[in-house]
Amino acid sequence: MLSVEDLSISFGGLDALSGLSLEVTEREIFALIGPNGAGKSTVFNVVTGLYRPSRGRVTFRGDDLLALAPHEIARRGVGRTFQNTEVFRQLTAIDNVLVGRHAHLRSGVLRGAFGLASVRREEAEARELARRLLARLGLAEVADTEAGSLPLGYQKRLELARALAAEPRLLLLDEPAGGLNPTETQTLMKLIQRLRDESGLTLLLVEHDMELVMGISDRVAVLDYGRKIAEGKPREIAADPAVVEAYLGSGDGA
Amino acid sequence: MTTAALVHVVVSGLATGSIYALMAISLVIIYNATRTLNFAQGEILMVSTFVGWTAMQVLRAPLVVVLIVAVAAAAGLGWALERLVIRHAISATHFDVLIITLGLSLMLRSAAGLVWTHDEFPFPSLFGNRPLAIGPVRLAPVSLGIIGASLALMLALYALFRWTRMGRAMRAVAQNQRAARLMGISVERVYSGSWVLAAVVGAVAGVLIAPVVFLSSKMGLVAINGFTAAVLGGFGSMPGAVVGGMLLGVLENLAPLYLPSSIKHSVPFLVMITILLVRPSGLLGRVARRKV
Repeated sequence: MLSVEDLSISFGGLDALSGLSLEVTEREIFALIGPNGAGKSTVFNVVTGLYRPSRGRVTFRGDDLLALAPHEIARRGVGRTFQNTEVFRQLTAIDNVLVGRHAHLRSGVLRGAFGLASVRREEAEARELARRLLARLGLAEVADTEAGSLPLGYQKRLELARALAAEPRLLLLDEPAGGLNPTETQTLMKLIQRLRDESGLTLLLVEHDMELVMGISDRVAVLDYGRKIAEGKPREIAADPAVVEAYLGSGDGA
Repeated sequence: MTTAALVHVVVSGLATGSIYALMAISLVIIYNATRTLNFAQGEILMVSTFVGWTAMQVLRAPLVVVLIVAVAAAAGLGWALERLVIRHAISATHFDVLIITLGLSLMLRSAAGLVWTHDEFPFPSLFGNRPLAIGPVRLAPVSLGIIGASLALMLALYALFRWTRMGRAMRAVAQNQRAARLMGISVERVYSGSWVLAAVVGAVAGVLIAPVVFLSSKMGLVAINGFTAAVLGGFGSMPGAVVGGMLLGVLENLAPLYLPSSIKHSVPFLVMITILLVRPSGLLGRVARRKV
């Protein structure tokens, strides 16, 4: 479904990624792990169109993503959340989710200006859907609160709700469990599995929480200094000597 | 001074203030989306009002049609300026773009002078001119009409930003362009939309104010008061733009009653400077937060 081939990108002479290849198949939960600075978030930024690589190919369901602008990639069904949440801080929670719904809404400015019945119905339906999503993520009671004033855990769930509002086929989650307590992490794991099992999503996640990674991933790839040093099922990865070396060597294990 | 006279002065101040508020709003619309100050805003207002007026001269069109023609002209002009000029400077600094808009304003003013001369022309009002008497208070219909029409437009804008897809996209882009792109929003279309919307608001303000200040190539200078109003309210804030505009209009009209008339035009700036010293982010502006 998502295919990354021979991807290389460097910033100021430093190779952030060199010759990385990944193949994520439909309805898979695929985890990217590795020490800080290994290039995990860079992969996300290339796939979502924020960075242009110096070499390589990225295709998603047959489309060449490197030829598309970020908003076009989003419209083709690639959603994401950020390591440091990037909610629209001065918008209410429900407005954040409605912005996430943007690509599915049709009405333009002119039709909206005349308040046509179809426009109003579309808006009402979008609001209903947004409220259901907020409720699903336990955010119903903060729907009308400004996103920037919510605690971090809430903002992370809100970002997820916003991403889901776009009904993506592929969802990239950047450290979804970062800053969450063990109970919240458990809830998150169940949610991720349900998204795959019930909504048929494909998930690519970057995560440091090994319990989450080992607990729900179908496959794991390990990055170190922009290179893939291992890939396989969670238990194969846990036993791989190269992985153990990378983590111990950098002194910043997970 | 009698209460009746005071009410009269305040109401005409609110009318002038409504125009300042509309100008401030149109500047804020573009600023929020693109972080650019559009110094050509006043000239877009002037040119579109002139185009509407020309339709009246040539086609003997009624005033409602004049308004529609002016709005359409503004939409076209706003779109063209953004698409053909500003868009190409997308990687320039905000300061560069600001100077470009300054250049555009001068060019539009000269062009208007060539087409319509630099004379002043009377412009008919959408509203009658028989004073409205409420007890001892006599109010000019022009003032009430301007206030009413401006408030209606402000409410429509509020609804647009609050409850429509495009309005939400504009607010999202104002706050976080990167995240907005990843939500499938074309930031470029939001830029276009902002210029068109701002120009349209300006055209309405132009048709409303032209009967009072006369139609001329200099009428775009009203944008300066729009800037002051926007700064007064806290640049970037829509409610601030409205409050700033109204306050400015009323002060400007009240000042000559108590102070030498030559000071009239300095009063708004004195007030602005005083307020900015006390509240650097303006009346309703957000306290600047550093992005981390």
